[in-house]
Amino acid sequence: MAPLLAVLLVFVVAPLAFVVAVSFFHYDNFAIIPAFSFENYADVLTAHLTYELYVTMIWFSLLTWFFTLIIGFTVAYFLVFHVRNPLIAIGLFLVCTVPFWTSNVIRMISWLPLLGKQGLINSALLATGVTRQPLQFLLFSDFSVVVSYVHLFTIFMIVPIFNSMSRIDRTLFEAAADAGSSRWQTLLHVVVPLCKSGIALGSIFVVTLVMGDFYVVKVMSGGSRASIVSAMYDDISTLLFPHAAANAVILMIIVVIMVSLILRVVDVRKELASQR
Amino acid sequence: MLTAAGRRPWTFYALAAFFALYVAFLYGPMICIFILSFQGPQGALVFPMRGVSLHWFAELVTQTETGDILGAISRSIPLAIIVMAATVAVSVAGGLAFRDRFRGGAALFYAVIVSLVAPGYVLGIGIGLMFQLLGLPAHWYSSALGAQLTWTLPFGLLIMFAVFGRFNRSYEEAARDLGAGAGQILRLVVIPIVLPGIIAVALFGFTLSYDEFARTLQTSGSTNTLPLEIWSMTTNVTSPVIYALGTVTTAFSFIVIGAALSAIALIQRRRYGRALPVGRH
Amino acid sequence: MAQRRKNGARIGGVDANTAISRRNLLRAAAAVGAAAGSQVIGAPTIWAQEIKDIELRHVGVSYSVVKAIGDQASKDLGFKVTMQNLDTSAAITRFITQPQTVDIPDLEGWQTKVAVARGILQGIEVKRIKEFDNILPIFTKGEYEGKKVSRQGISPYEAMYIEKKDSTKIVEGVHDWMTFLPQVYNADSIGYRPDIVGHPVTRWKDLIDPTYKGRSAILDVPNIGIMDAALALESRGDLVYKNKGNMTRQEIDTTINALIALKKQGQFRATWTTFEQSVELMASGEVVIQSMWSPAVTAVLAKGIPCIYAPVNEQPNGKEGYRGWCNGMGLMRHLSGKKLEAAYEYLNWYYAGWQGGFVARHGYYSPVPKTAEKFMTANEYGYWYLGKPAADVIKDPYGAPIAKAGAVRDGGSFIERFTNIACWNTVMDQNQYMIQRWNEFKSA
Repeated sequence: MAPLLAVLLVFVVAPLAFVVAVSFFHYDNFAIIPAFSFENYADVLTAHLTYELYVTMIWFSLLTWFFTLIIGFTVAYFLVFHVRNPLIAIGLFLVCTVPFWTSNVIRMISWLPLLGKQGLINSALLATGVTRQPLQFLLFSDFSVVVSYVHLFTIFMIVPIFNSMSRIDRTLFEAAADAGSSRWQTLLHVVVPLCKSGIALGSIFVVTLVMGDFYVVKVMSGGSRASIVSAMYDDISTLLFPHAAANAVILMIIVVIMVSLILRVVDVRKELASQR
Repeated sequence: MLTAAGRRPWTFYALAAFFALYVAFLYGPMICIFILSFQGPQGALVFPMRGVSLHWFAELVTQTETGDILGAISRSIPLAIIVMAATVAVSVAGGLAFRDRFRGGAALFYAVIVSLVAPGYVLGIGIGLMFQLLGLPAHWYSSALGAQLTWTLPFGLLIMFAVFGRFNRSYEEAARDLGAGAGQILRLVVIPIVLPGIIAVALFGFTLSYDEFARTLQTSGSTNTLPLEIWSMTTNVTSPVIYALGTVTTAFSFIVIGAALSAIALIQRRRYGRALPVGRH
Repeated sequence: MAQRRKNGARIGGVDANTAISRRNLLRAAAAVGAAAGSQVIGAPTIWAQEIKDIELRHVGVSYSVVKAIGDQASKDLGFKVTMQNLDTSAAITRFITQPQTVDIPDLEGWQTKVAVARGILQGIEVKRIKEFDNILPIFTKGEYEGKKVSRQGISPYEAMYIEKKDSTKIVEGVHDWMTFLPQVYNADSIGYRPDIVGHPVTRWKDLIDPTYKGRSAILDVPNIGIMDAALALESRGDLVYKNKGNMTRQEIDTTINALIALKKQGQFRATWTTFEQSVELMASGEVVIQSMWSPAVTAVLAKGIPCIYAPVNEQPNGKEGYRGWCNGMGLMRHLSGKKLEAAYEYLNWYYAGWQGGFVARHGYYSPVPKTAEKFMTANEYGYWYLGKPAADVIKDPYGAPIAKAGAVRDGGSFIERFTNIACWNTVMDQNQYMIQRWNEFKSA
């Protein structure tokens, strides 16, 4: 516990204290003036832009959450209950991890040759005569942003759900089958409730990742969208630190609220402690 | 261990197909990377292929035109290993401790959540500023290490929540009744059961660190980690050399994984030959 | 490929049997390096023994802070120069928040203005810069060829001087202390695909011409992108700005509203942030016209795809012109003693010509063309600086051919470009409002 506490105090609490302090400072283009003023918060909260950004990003979060949950749950279910050799399960799991060892930056760039006007997919569609014109919406659109999120973040759903599922006692399946429940009923009434902590944790990861993203939106929307963090980044580029700090504080509060809503549905700590 | 006893249900084939589709989706862009890395010196980042050669692999080694990729890798890998080790140790300990309610537990838990959701770039600036004010030198192994832990620890700890959730404590109690000490219980009972979870946390720790960008940007001091180097390279002429890097990384990973899994399979077969299987199978 | 494999690979390839010859080879290489060094800078002015442990950290964007240049400087100077690349935003943030982790910050004019105000720099003493008198007056006096250089935006001259070494106030006129030493600069305009666009582009308004609907792009760095947009709107005749580099709130509103309208009409296929994105947009055919940097055009050409860098010379009606930028090196305030001496050596090395020759082959310019010329062939100097047709094949810094004999550089000579600068990269007084409105354009 002590190392965890130390890391959190030194590298989270202390620097965030700076951020919170700076969010109350005055500033102009050339200097930051210590003060205690709410003007930065007022600026952020009264800007129409802020709401647009949050609506966009929450919408992206929901879409991504939905798709990653479906895919993540199915994949985890397959690996836990259908792959009988644990070594093969670990091997398949690693196959899902390997692409992540190539930097995200490179993998983002590589969508262009796949989804672009002259990319592999459009070339295939044109060659087979499915379409006459290259499909533009494949790249630089909300579609490509969500595809990319799902691509990057599904693993964060698979891992916790996989671990929850591994803990399920398999005799329960037999019991359920004996009691005459169908596969579908077993899934809904036995498996899902028993891995709700994994689902909740995966959801926390995915929502946090999307809300904090700046790179995927920037690249995959072709710059036709801004995210909360990319707007913050633009502030920092020209040293509007106090404004960015206020933005950061608000973002943190909102995402913590989103996380606690998830925790209200599934109290993972209680799940953990109740196994007596 | 169960072997293929009896016919597999239709759901197996449906789910296996689904899994295959997911893997295809995961590797779609990677395949472009593999193909395009074998272009000639005129190569671009998009199709059509411009010549075929190993030019960009040679460039990766000689680094005449690019930034210091090899130097960046030589920092990123040790950093990822340290982060991985620390993440596993702290997460397992934390996961065990959180099984009991303790004073300040809720506060600590929410501190972990804040650590997870804090905007990385801003947090990194805060950490960098703090090191500057305290007169501490910022390096990849000091400030960047700490910054990355604020990212990997929440992941590790929360995954351990999923691992320890539903963990049946009667195993521990049984071991204690049989006279096992605390260390023995941890080593012989707890760890073998949660081993897949620990592997997952280790993989996450390594991967998240190796890919970390936002928190590292202002904390890695005067030298870059790999993601920073690659990102800064994109402000200039970018060449398929980064694709060559992706191809080498993937090929290398598959060789290591293949070797490790075969080794484990071999060891297991020998062990099963000699003694009764240990563990939960 | 074989010819490109450098010594390094061959040295790495020798086996244990030839370890002795390898050592000899390394010694020989070191000797060559030392000889080359003394040739370039003459007798070292500080003591070789004492400086060899010095390490200078030069930090900045990758098109300006180049590893190959740092390696050459280390070889010539006898102390170590390490280059760290960050993007523009990360770099300025590092300079401001962690000044101790940087020795030589690489700054644009507007960043210099901000950095000086924050007191993280020390002045550069004019009389210690050997080639000061040969620096083009664009930078030192704000004029060129008898013509005042545009003051829209933040021109390098505008951010050039302070009165005392540790002053935090930039002043007009020529003084004894400089804030930053210009090292590389260019004039940006539009890049286009002549095979698809079909006519020569010389005006910014083509960027927002409905003919290229869904096939044009602009730069997504707010304080630069908005100027490209302003140049296009001015060119189309929407409005005349008092100062495109320092717009009023009203001018910002007009510009952003026009951009939003254009976006809604589907004018822009994308906006780009990094150099690489601009190259790929063009090379992949996603975009046929966009605001672009000269070396990005070169990079597209190097892939065998036709691409032209539009010569947007100023028109008699005052419209058009390039957007100029300039990166220079500062001295962090914490530098002192031997390290400061080494830093001055390093600054002077930049003006000795090797670097000027190197960046020219990228399509960039040195502030001291006189010394750069010595490190270029007559053919190269004629092509890159004088706008003459190439007498022979022109190669990039790494030896790849980028222009055939007879080709002429787009945009003509150096003089043509730099007498036609309309505005400079900037940070506006209404910066925060502008960034907010820019992001509204992006999320519209």
